[in-house]
Amino acid sequence: MLGRFVFAALALNFAAFAHAQTLSDANDIIARADLAAYYAGADGRSEVRMIISDAQGREQRRQFTVLRRDVADGGDQQFLVVFSQPSDVRNTAFLVNKHIDRDDDRWLYLPGLDLVKRISAGDKRTSFVGAHYFYEDVSGRRPADDTHELVETTDAFYVLKHVPIDPQSVEFSSYVTWIDRETFLPMKIDYTNAAGNLYRRVEVFTIEEFGGHPTVTSSRVSDILTGGKTDMQFRYIKYDVDLPDSVFTERSLRTPPRDWLKRPAE
Amino acid sequence: MTRWPLLLFLPLTVFAQDDVWDDDAWEEDWDEEQQGIIWSGFVEAGLGTRFSEDELIDTRNTLEEVRWRFETEWQPGNVTVGLKADVDYDGIESDWDADVRDLSAGFTPGDNIDVKIGRQVQTWGTGDLVFLNDLFPKDFVSFFAGRDDEYLKAPGNAIRVTRFSPLVNVDFVWTPIFESDVYLTGERFSFYSPLAGMQVAPRPPFSAEEPEKSFSNGEFALRLFRTVESTEFAFYAYRGFSKQPPFVAMNAYGASIRRPAGPGLLNAETSYYTSQGDNDQLRFLVGYEWEARPNFSVGLQYYLESTSDEDRHLLTNRLTYRAGRDKHTFSLFTFYSPSDNDYYLRPVYTYRHSDQWSLAFGANLFGGNEPDTFFNQLDDASNAYARVRFHY
Repeated sequence: MLGRFVFAALALNFAAFAHAQTLSDANDIIARADLAAYYAGADGRSEVRMIISDAQGREQRRQFTVLRRDVADGGDQQFLVVFSQPSDVRNTAFLVNKHIDRDDDRWLYLPGLDLVKRISAGDKRTSFVGAHYFYEDVSGRRPADDTHELVETTDAFYVLKHVPIDPQSVEFSSYVTWIDRETFLPMKIDYTNAAGNLYRRVEVFTIEEFGGHPTVTSSRVSDILTGGKTDMQFRYIKYDVDLPDSVFTERSLRTPPRDWLKRPAE
Repeated sequence: MTRWPLLLFLPLTVFAQDDVWDDDAWEEDWDEEQQGIIWSGFVEAGLGTRFSEDELIDTRNTLEEVRWRFETEWQPGNVTVGLKADVDYDGIESDWDADVRDLSAGFTPGDNIDVKIGRQVQTWGTGDLVFLNDLFPKDFVSFFAGRDDEYLKAPGNAIRVTRFSPLVNVDFVWTPIFESDVYLTGERFSFYSPLAGMQVAPRPPFSAEEPEKSFSNGEFALRLFRTVESTEFAFYAYRGFSKQPPFVAMNAYGASIRRPAGPGLLNAETSYYTSQGDNDQLRFLVGYEWEARPNFSVGLQYYLESTSDEDRHLLTNRLTYRAGRDKHTFSLFTFYSPSDNDYYLRPVYTYRHSDQWSLAFGANLFGGNEPDTFFNQLDDASNAYARVRFHY
């Protein structure tokens, strides 16, 4: 009992220390932010809903479940996305093996044709199922793909500017991220194009804690130039559910792993 | 014709169910997980017509139908029962038709084994609209007539057992009664008859004698597959019959590989078809696909069919451009055979207006020099089509 108390006190002290500390190295900050945004727990599941609105206000919707497993914290990861709505994409599944040292492997399963389609590496900053989100946003952009510069430290945020190492591979010339100093979650990202115009913005509206991990539960991507946007909501989030490696294989594309996709008891 | 409106109203009973998306208070309201049986599908009307008459065929249209698709899934215990079926009125055949694309039971008898029994659509191999080791049934009539790509794959009654293991995954498909392709019969499209030495459209339509419906004439298809690092390896074997007349007993053995290379994906596949007599054929395919510009992807394939007396070479090219977050998709698939000197172009534009409504406009254009080549025999079938679809 005493040991436990001491441990808790130490943990508290450490947390207080971490909060009090001001980081000054942009690479340290982005590494922490990457862990906070994409590596909470050893694995996790979430249900996601998107409302995609065009400039005229016409809406489309998507609903899917995401399963994620970390091969190593801050390293390789696996993602499985299975769609439930709308009806023309039901049971469509998307599998990502994210790699740190090489391009990600990605497959899309089209149930109508029973076709396991592989997606080429270049095809990552294009619309994910019609949303303003990109394929790359699902699994996260590798920190090593950009250079990072800490431009400002405010009371609440680290403000970083990122420049792509290979500008030919992306549509932005730079982006600026506002990273919450306490949670290390990116709260706003502004993308600037080659003409120097702000054209894309990602905003986080709500953060809730699950299993001790602060987690985004509501966010938006806006297309500033055309006026469209995609709102995203995350629910039924659970971390450390012991997802086995075998869930992230071709097997799950054809036969979605119902037991793991099932909504957990609250 | 007068019966069409009835068909259009049938799905309304299904639309009447609570639409899970219809809550304006989306922010507050997160729906209950859907319980029980959910029906979904679409209603589609399609019309396609030839650019010029085919004097052997009565009607100028190649597509004239209203189709109602209904799908559901049901999970009694550990079994997943799936149903996917079409009811359609076909104006060219002046007939109602029901087509079950999937009626199957899937279950997992062991940790690493999946079994799916029943009517199902199956696909494997690495080719894009070119098939070497995929000897599952295909519907070329639908493909040429302008139906959705999905209909190129015809369903078959089969038992599929897949065993997963770290060393190698094994996929085994037994089709107890032989399932042929849907081939050209002269009903919708005329074709070149080597026997008659001319283009024909027999009445009644051509019907080849199929292998006797017995278990001993069943089809066996085997695939061993594994992904190592980023490379997909597969080996294939097949025992059955050629999928088109004259349905010769055959075996096939093959292999494929698919992996990232440079900015894109490289695939290669080969298959050796062996049958009685001197009809052995080697098939070989190599392909490369990459995103050349944002939202614009290019796929190239070289395909060879080699027999003792002749080689058929085929080049294909797929160009796909997506705009407005996939609202608009422009696609052009080209088949060109330098050895046969013929071609087949498939331009398609699809417009996804909303989650409910979508449109497709496309064409099937055939041409060449000799009357008897695979694509040029269809030059009088060159057509343009439009389809409108409502999803529910």
